[in-house]
Amino acid sequence: MTSTAQELHPAPTLQPGRTILELNGLEKRYPGTHALKPVHLAFKAGEIHAIVGENGAGKSTLIKLLTGVMPRTSGEVIWEGQPVALATPHEAMALGINAVHQEVVLCRHLTVAANMFLGEEESRFGLLQQRAMVKDAQKIINGLGFDLPAHVVLGDLTIGQQQLIAAARATVRGTKFLIFDEPTAYLTRKEADQLFKLIRRLKGEGVTIIYISHRMEEVFELADRVSVLRDGTLVGTRNIAETNEPELVKLMINRSIEQIYHKEHFTPGAPIVETKNLSGKGFENVSVTVRAGEIVGLYGLIGAGRSEFVTTLYGRHKKSAGQILWQGKEVQVNSEHDAIRLGMALAPESRRDQGLCLNLPVGMNLNLPIYKRISSNLLISGAKEKTEADRQIADLRIKTPTRNALASSLSGGNQQKIVIGKWLAHGAKLFIFDEPTVGVDVGTKAEIYRLFSALLSKGAGIILISSYLPEVYELADTLHVFRRGKLVATHGFRTADHEDILTQALAEKQEKQGGQK
Amino acid sequence: MSTEAIAAERPKRNYNALFGLTLLALLVLLWVILSLATTSFASANNISNLLRQGSMIAILAVGQTFVIITGGIDLSVGAVVGFSTVIAAMLINAGVPVFVAILITLLVGVAIGLFHGFGIVKMGLPPFIITLATLTSLRGIGLLMTNGNSISINNDAFQEFSRNSFVGVPNLFWMVILVGIPAYIFLHHSRWGRYLFSVGSNAEASRLSGVNVQRTIYMAYTLSGLCAAFVGVLLASRIGIGNPTQAEGWELQAIASSVIGGTSLFGAVGSVHGPLLGAFILATINNGANLLNVNAFWQRIITGLLIIVIVYFDGLRRRGK
Ligand SMILES: Nc1ncnc2c1ncn2[C@@H]1O[C@H](COP(=O)(O)OP(=O)(O)OP(=O)(O)O)[C@@H](O)[C@H]1O
Ligand SMILES: [Mg+2]
Repeated sequence: MTSTAQELHPAPTLQPGRTILELNGLEKRYPGTHALKPVHLAFKAGEIHAIVGENGAGKSTLIKLLTGVMPRTSGEVIWEGQPVALATPHEAMALGINAVHQEVVLCRHLTVAANMFLGEEESRFGLLQQRAMVKDAQKIINGLGFDLPAHVVLGDLTIGQQQLIAAARATVRGTKFLIFDEPTAYLTRKEADQLFKLIRRLKGEGVTIIYISHRMEEVFELADRVSVLRDGTLVGTRNIAETNEPELVKLMINRSIEQIYHKEHFTPGAPIVETKNLSGKGFENVSVTVRAGEIVGLYGLIGAGRSEFVTTLYGRHKKSAGQILWQGKEVQVNSEHDAIRLGMALAPESRRDQGLCLNLPVGMNLNLPIYKRISSNLLISGAKEKTEADRQIADLRIKTPTRNALASSLSGGNQQKIVIGKWLAHGAKLFIFDEPTVGVDVGTKAEIYRLFSALLSKGAGIILISSYLPEVYELADTLHVFRRGKLVATHGFRTADHEDILTQALAEKQEKQGGQK
Repeated sequence: MSTEAIAAERPKRNYNALFGLTLLALLVLLWVILSLATTSFASANNISNLLRQGSMIAILAVGQTFVIITGGIDLSVGAVVGFSTVIAAMLINAGVPVFVAILITLLVGVAIGLFHGFGIVKMGLPPFIITLATLTSLRGIGLLMTNGNSISINNDAFQEFSRNSFVGVPNLFWMVILVGIPAYIFLHHSRWGRYLFSVGSNAEASRLSGVNVQRTIYMAYTLSGLCAAFVGVLLASRIGIGNPTQAEGWELQAIASSVIGGTSLFGAVGSVHGPLLGAFILATINNGANLLNVNAFWQRIITGLLIIVIVYFDGLRRRGK
């Protein structure tokens, strides 16, 4: 292909209001799961259409059908008046249907530019025009207002930045219909704002957009209309101006929730863990104390050093200076094994890479940390293995046909529940949750927060890392703000306001960028 | 995880080239040491010999590398080489013009590669299994065809080719260049090469980007089969016989060369120059060990240790980035 990036830019000639894509009884069955019951829905050209629903409601399945990733079981898809098969991703792309998928699906080993043009490389006489592609990619990225380099290897960027690249990529592909599946799950506030700007701009150019999110405020900020899926059924479509959050939540989970951020206060007990001027790769001089019965929140941008801090505490990386005190006594944590033996548990941030064995059954994943407890001598007690797994599945409402289903077949949010759930049975004293509710629906979030309270009431302490400010703000008894590897501010429960915390997390960055411009 | 600023500033594109230079330095170092330590190493005769020894493994390693980059492995290449010597010998002895005989032999290699692709893509077999199956059965088929005997090739011109030189360089080494340059352009400068990397890095992402993953896998194994059949032709020319048990264990040498050359067995990392250098490093070690009268058993041990050391240091550097 010799076309330049400019030619690949969308040039839709659509009148808004007209139907561009229509689902006519679209249905999908997986073995054991009726993921999508016949759905009838028409998308108007140039609208931003939000889709919300619980974990496992069928949102991603719908997207997979529309982008040709999976074949549908039955029903019809009508694109600009014509029925289309959508049998391969290629066909969908040729029509102008593109998606930014829930998990970043790009090639970590290739450069940003190579990823942006993957499948549509510029080449002349069979030779790749690598320089030209890097230049064009950079132009596109800059044009979108993203401050990212095009020549670096993708794996060197943060997950959030990769997600932005995935979004930028979709814009170079002659897109008329663009689907975002929970794009902000891994983004910082600033990155999310950049993304919203991009989405609005695409809408201005006439692109139709489907926007899937568990964050209601985003839906209300962006969307023109919103559709709700529950258990694979479309239970309603509303104009955004004519609905409100409680109504949507009620549609989604068929009951109302008075309070998502469930917070109980316990009198803090003795310190469980203290760090004194702890330094390591990616952070320095961090002193933090976690007492029994309290949640210590760590807020900051992705890459601010919070994850590095907790993984060092957890023994995965070597500390370079400072002390760790466990229940008042200095300890050396040289490996994860040491940490677990002391009584720490870590639910990591990247579920695909660190948290799950995707091709093992749900039950095995859940029981992984507790096999020692549920086996006598060498043999695993089959009965205990079953009851433990089933109890977790029920407690967390993990949506899976059986405990024997592979973790990879679960929806994104339900996978996240496993990552969390597997530590709950473990009976640790200190729980570290790194971005625990990424991609988790409102109802489940409320359940997870309740679980936090249950842990606290048993005398455990929690370190909660989140890039989603409302979450740490509403839950943390002590809130530490990280910026560039340093602890820059500390607040009590709801004592600072959002703006102040955001500025503290960002300050240096904004100055630097101001200077660059 | 790196901060934005660090990610943006780090120029790490030239890692490949740098690693290549390190290997080249190692090769030169070995040559210098051996020239000083022995009288015969630096002789024109010995160098030609060394180049001949290394050339065939080098070509195999290039094909192997394509496969490994996609995250696969091709265990069949040694057997394909042996089998190809039989095909070439039979055709030439039957009076088929040499050129046509070579072409047919190469096509057999392509067919074997396509079969591997079929097994992996359509039957869902792991690459290790399907190529292992070919490894054993091809030797068997060859033995059946020859009744267990060697076939002497009665065509002198065919055999001359591998003994002759062109401008002082053995023809066999010219063949490395003949394969290496297009392979380099293919891997690093064509979209097909790019897809080998993308499939090895993340097959799902590639598929979602409209890359034809199945075709890419077919292509990798076909190229590996083609390289192996080509080496079979060269080997037949060099030893003047067709024998299905030839080239025993060459698949492992090819894999070792590839890995020494910086290819990652996890896929998505590799080059063309790396495996070529790797093959000649191995050949130099064997050659030098012979000249120094090192016990052949030791040669194997040294090769094994070398693989561990080189790959360990390569891994250190990658992680240390
Ligand atoms: N490949 C698969 N095989 C079997 N079942 C599947 C597969 N993919 C999804 N499912 C099931 O289909 C249902 C719908 O999943 P889907 O991924 O569409 O949910 P979702 O609405 O996107 O949820 P989330 O908000 O958690 O991402 C779930 O019950 C899930 O377990
Ligand atoms: Mg989903």
